[in-house]
Amino acid sequence: MSRQKIVIDPVTRIEGHSKISIHLDDDGRVEEAYFHVTQFRGFEKFCEGRPFSEMPSVMARICGICPVSHLMASAKACDAILAVRIPESAVRLRRILNLAQIVQSHALSFFYLSSADLLLGMDADPAARNLFGVIRANPALARDGVRLRQYGQQIIEWMAGKRIHPTWVVPGGVNEPLTAEKRDLILAGLPEAIQIARRTLEWFKSENERFREEIRTFANFPSLFMGLVGEGGGLEHYDGKLRFLDAGGHIVADGIDGAGYANHIAELAHPWTYLKTSYYKPMGYPEGVYRVGPLARLNIIDGCGTPRASQEWAEFRELDRGAVLSSFYYHYARLIEILYALETIERLLSAPQVLDKNVRAFARANNSEGVGITEAPRGTLIHHYKVDGDGLITWANLIIATGHNNAAMNRGVLQVARHFVHGNRLQEGMLNRVEAVIRAFDPCLSCSTHAVGRLALEIELRDAAGEVVDTVRQ
Amino acid sequence: MARILIIGYGNPLRGDDGFGWHAAQRLRETVRDSDVEILTVQQLTPELMDPISRAAKAIFLDAAATGEPGHLSVTPVDPAVMGPASFTHFATPAGLLAGARALYGSETAGVLVSVAGADFSLGAELSEAVLRATEELLDLAVRDGCWVLAHPA
Repeated sequence: MSRQKIVIDPVTRIEGHSKISIHLDDDGRVEEAYFHVTQFRGFEKFCEGRPFSEMPSVMARICGICPVSHLMASAKACDAILAVRIPESAVRLRRILNLAQIVQSHALSFFYLSSADLLLGMDADPAARNLFGVIRANPALARDGVRLRQYGQQIIEWMAGKRIHPTWVVPGGVNEPLTAEKRDLILAGLPEAIQIARRTLEWFKSENERFREEIRTFANFPSLFMGLVGEGGGLEHYDGKLRFLDAGGHIVADGIDGAGYANHIAELAHPWTYLKTSYYKPMGYPEGVYRVGPLARLNIIDGCGTPRASQEWAEFRELDRGAVLSSFYYHYARLIEILYALETIERLLSAPQVLDKNVRAFARANNSEGVGITEAPRGTLIHHYKVDGDGLITWANLIIATGHNNAAMNRGVLQVARHFVHGNRLQEGMLNRVEAVIRAFDPCLSCSTHAVGRLALEIELRDAAGEVVDTVRQ
Repeated sequence: MARILIIGYGNPLRGDDGFGWHAAQRLRETVRDSDVEILTVQQLTPELMDPISRAAKAIFLDAAATGEPGHLSVTPVDPAVMGPASFTHFATPAGLLAGARALYGSETAGVLVSVAGADFSLGAELSEAVLRATEELLDLAVRDGCWVLAHPA
């Protein structure tokens, strides 16, 4: 049998455009697998020469799903260039907005993109394996998903003026205080949202047994984990310091601030993808492969910090002796984070300082360099800018969550392909599992375009001469 | 419950693609009717099923890629379940109506009001033809009420 290649193009139900290729050896066994990101954006280059004060609103345009995350990391990098301590009320408001982003994005990932796999099964008819299939099979779950995402989006609109590409977060703070009316609107929706998060968690836990094989094979391997932790090692999405943890649950590096990230994180480029790959510098590549995002965050922390999420986290940590290694549990971690985010929003809004009118510090550029680090829904997001004497950007580097996870996603695709792909006959369930492991990471490939028409998904099995041996379409 | 829900959608930075977005923004500024709720969005998403389910009539304002520039058409929309890739990167008026019916049991009627665009290149301005059609539409809605938008000419 000659060497063959299977291509999944495009990968569906993720944010952005990508494909997967699986290479088989002479005996039809999986030899290698690649996750290719096929889109190119170039933000780091074309922002050169722009005033740094424009960066948050420019960077928010990177993505229509997580503009708030880029807005936040960019504004923090600009705060560092201003060299100001922003008002406490602005920090509080930014935190709430960032958590609302976590809620809406996690809801999108779990309910809209992945729940069809979980509810209907990986082998279900692809024509039904979408949100409409969920609506038919479990309308209550679908209603909960719609409601939760709507609530997260609504908070963003109430606070920042619009749901997509808001510009409310600015260097030095935010550009408008929160009104009591808006605060009350947000608070009024919290009890229902918390109920939804809690019952979805119960549902997910009750379904776990059905996915033993996926739990065992979905990017389930030892790796490092990285993310921000707050004071006392608590769960943190807006500020804090970076921590690396190994698979055994031991802290490898801790207390890394913005200025020190480059000593610990290095990037490399592969010729087969536009997505850069990050690794833990002291260990090199590939030994220094790490994961970020909800699973990593719940692995690296010492505690959650809110009552209900803490209970769930304690249960989650029972899954493994060290770090929880299966990437299938990204879904589980996402739900716990939604609960945490809602509880924290409630706490932050309940303090009278949230209505403080002093929400912005003004200054000129006082530093020639600034780094902003936040936790986006998908993981750690780093914006690093350098400016000249006029405050114009001379250099920018962005390390996004999906880049941190790139090596782990590739390794995950290989693991799933080796487990499920056999010989030269392709099956729909195989196709979906290879995609589903990517979906578990919830990569965001910065999709900002309207798709027209039906998305084609096709796997082709070709022999060494390029002849198609088998094809699966949906 | 608003009896009419108007959803204007499109990309306001892609020329005439922003017709629905601009028209809805203008309607929000001029229409004072508690029976009318107006939303401006850049694309249709599943969350819209909820407000759609609470309306008697949903009017979708969108640009059309084909047709004589500035030509306005009003077409009834029937609920229709979308295909396998539904709701991942886009939704349709028919899909949202079907989803609202399945999830909330609503009987919301839908209508698509579209204006054929002339120029979809980068830019925040509408072409002259689409601008003229937008003004006519607004005049009509203000003079005769938003219900007039829901009836095919």
